[in-house]
Amino acid sequence: MEKLNFTGTGSEYFKIWIVNILLTIITMGFYIPWAKVRNRRYLYANTTVANRNFEYHATGLQLLLGFIIGLVLFIIYSFVTQIAPQFAGIFMIVFMLILPWLVWKSLMFNMKMTSFSNVHFSFQGKLGKSYKIFLGYPALLFLVIFIILGGSIFLTKFLLLGDIIPEPIMMIGGIVLGLLATLGYLYFFAFMKKATTEYTLSNSYYGQGKFDTEIETKKFFIILLKTMALAIVPIGLLVGIIMPILQGGMASGIEMMFVVAYFGFIFFMMLVASYAVSRERKYIYENTLLDNNITFESTLRARDIAWVMISNFFLIMITLGLAFPWAKVRMAKLMLENTLVETSQGFDTFISTQEDNTSSIGDQIGDAFDVDVGVAF
Amino acid sequence: MIKGNWHPKGSAAQLDALLSSDDLGRYVIEFEDGTIFNGEISQLKVSERLGNVRRKIYLEDGSLFSTLNNDAVDELFQKFQKVPSFIYYLETRWTWVATALFITILVGFSFFKWGIPWTSEKIAHALPYETNRFISKGSMTFLDKILFEESNLSKVRQDEISKHFYAKLAKLSVEDESEIVYKLHFRSWEMDGNSVPNALALPSGDIIVTDKFIELTKSFDEIDSVLLHEMGHVVHRHGLEMMIEGTFVTVAVMMISGDGSGVGDMGVGLGSALVSSSYSRGHESEADLYAFKKMLQAKINPVSFSHIMNRMTAFMGKDNNLSKASSDDEFLDYFASHPSTKKRVELANKYSECFKKGLTVCE
Repeated sequence: MEKLNFTGTGSEYFKIWIVNILLTIITMGFYIPWAKVRNRRYLYANTTVANRNFEYHATGLQLLLGFIIGLVLFIIYSFVTQIAPQFAGIFMIVFMLILPWLVWKSLMFNMKMTSFSNVHFSFQGKLGKSYKIFLGYPALLFLVIFIILGGSIFLTKFLLLGDIIPEPIMMIGGIVLGLLATLGYLYFFAFMKKATTEYTLSNSYYGQGKFDTEIETKKFFIILLKTMALAIVPIGLLVGIIMPILQGGMASGIEMMFVVAYFGFIFFMMLVASYAVSRERKYIYENTLLDNNITFESTLRARDIAWVMISNFFLIMITLGLAFPWAKVRMAKLMLENTLVETSQGFDTFISTQEDNTSSIGDQIGDAFDVDVGVAF
Repeated sequence: MIKGNWHPKGSAAQLDALLSSDDLGRYVIEFEDGTIFNGEISQLKVSERLGNVRRKIYLEDGSLFSTLNNDAVDELFQKFQKVPSFIYYLETRWTWVATALFITILVGFSFFKWGIPWTSEKIAHALPYETNRFISKGSMTFLDKILFEESNLSKVRQDEISKHFYAKLAKLSVEDESEIVYKLHFRSWEMDGNSVPNALALPSGDIIVTDKFIELTKSFDEIDSVLLHEMGHVVHRHGLEMMIEGTFVTVAVMMISGDGSGVGDMGVGLGSALVSSSYSRGHESEADLYAFKKMLQAKINPVSFSHIMNRMTAFMGKDNNLSKASSDDEFLDYFASHPSTKKRVELANKYSECFKKGLTVCE
């Protein structure tokens, strides 16, 4: 097992980042695709293992079309929802309908544009499966919620169950049902995470080598339950302090308390998120295999990621965003140096299966929306 | 001699290799076992330099030579092939980096400080007046549901104030916005057992005054001063402006921390709140100015505004145990949605001086 390295430095990345911003300002934003490429190239090329490095191959020109389409749609969306909010719903529906396609396109494009040691990655998932996961399952959940809610309203309102069954039993029944519904929802959430992780990873290839990920919903569910138990503190904070303040309409003088509660909330949320990320990552890596023999491992500890997350947050805030490159490098270093890959069998046998780096129109569109399917990699 | 690695086309296998050149523009790649590759340097494709990341040189047959020795590669290609290096040049000169930093801070600051408010104001006033009514549709019902209760003021008192308002004030603003239809509402606002003195305006021209506010005032002049302030919000279309500013801020902050993979995202809420309250303070000052100017026109002493403001601040400070920190606290200024009472009173006094001199315009 060998750990990944990040060879970049904050100061070097800062120069690249700030020049990117300068050119973005001068070009009124049209440099953004090129800036994105330069950022990614820097981060990828500095990621090394076994004396080999990653590489990002897309060009600014390739990203430009997707960027413009994304921008135009976003402006239309912002404008319409501000002026006529009733159309926001239509936008949401249209977006939900094309989201699976965007995810699929984005995965294909980004995998294709990434190489390691001169061999490209690829994504060969089916579009239908993407629709099943990102549209079918959520729609099913919606339907189930609808039936349960509708059913309980029907039972209490029209069958007048409340008159037949004594009140204490009704109340206990309500609490039990509510608890079951919450657990059911969490289980669905774990299932979604399993489905997206497997869809993304198990359809990815490194050259001719296939990734294989097998995940049990149960394991994700347990991690999720533990996370929820930890999250009681920040949620209590939210309900106990922030909510009354917001409802009270911000009387003068309590802003200070609001700020304290806000930071406290963020602090605890980061701790909770760190726990979830470290555990999920560990579980996913341990159950992922490349080409039937290369194994992975994550040694990322919750406390380390929490520390970097929280200190980065303050770093960025105090410097009004100027410390972003250092924050990014710190996070990259932490993530990569806690990723282990079995390298003893070497990578020499891998070969690219696709010849060129070209992409057809539409391939890049998904990238413009930065659709994140929530796989920790 | 440049030390590096060589990959066959599309293969992950790598071999140690040495790249060298002669003065005639030919290159040679040598392997440990003595195998040799050679050709014209002008036929090679080299990647653009980026920091010190591994440089890639593609050979004619699609195979790849890569090296960390960037300087040597630059030197080699300088003579025989033009490699774009403009951006790398900017990134490595501290003068350019400092310039970029300076311009970024300047543009960023100006954009938030003046760009967004200015553009929002222009947009707000370019939109048809109907928009104002449209965005406050249902607001009154909503506020009545969550915040307000029926007023306890006597009908006589309500009528008296309304009559005064419609007769004296509503007419004052006609020249500015003939489309605005003002409507005065009386409500009671209770919070934690305390009555809240306040006046607020909806973009549609509905102005709400609370019982406690009326109770604290000692003259019509004081009521008028606050009502004129609220009318200032309506005339300047502040409600609409806030919405447009909000959209700008959200988009801008999202773009800044966009690639932050969740790290910076959590600061977005606070950043937006800070910027928005700064805009809100600007609006309050604008409404104050509007009120003072109108008061001079209507022959009302602007000092009335400082009287009622002081009384309201004193009342809030005394009866509300949550507001221990005074509003003049420098730090909290950044979070406050209103300018400090001290500053507002100072301006009112300045206008009062003008009033005493009988001026109708105050510089």
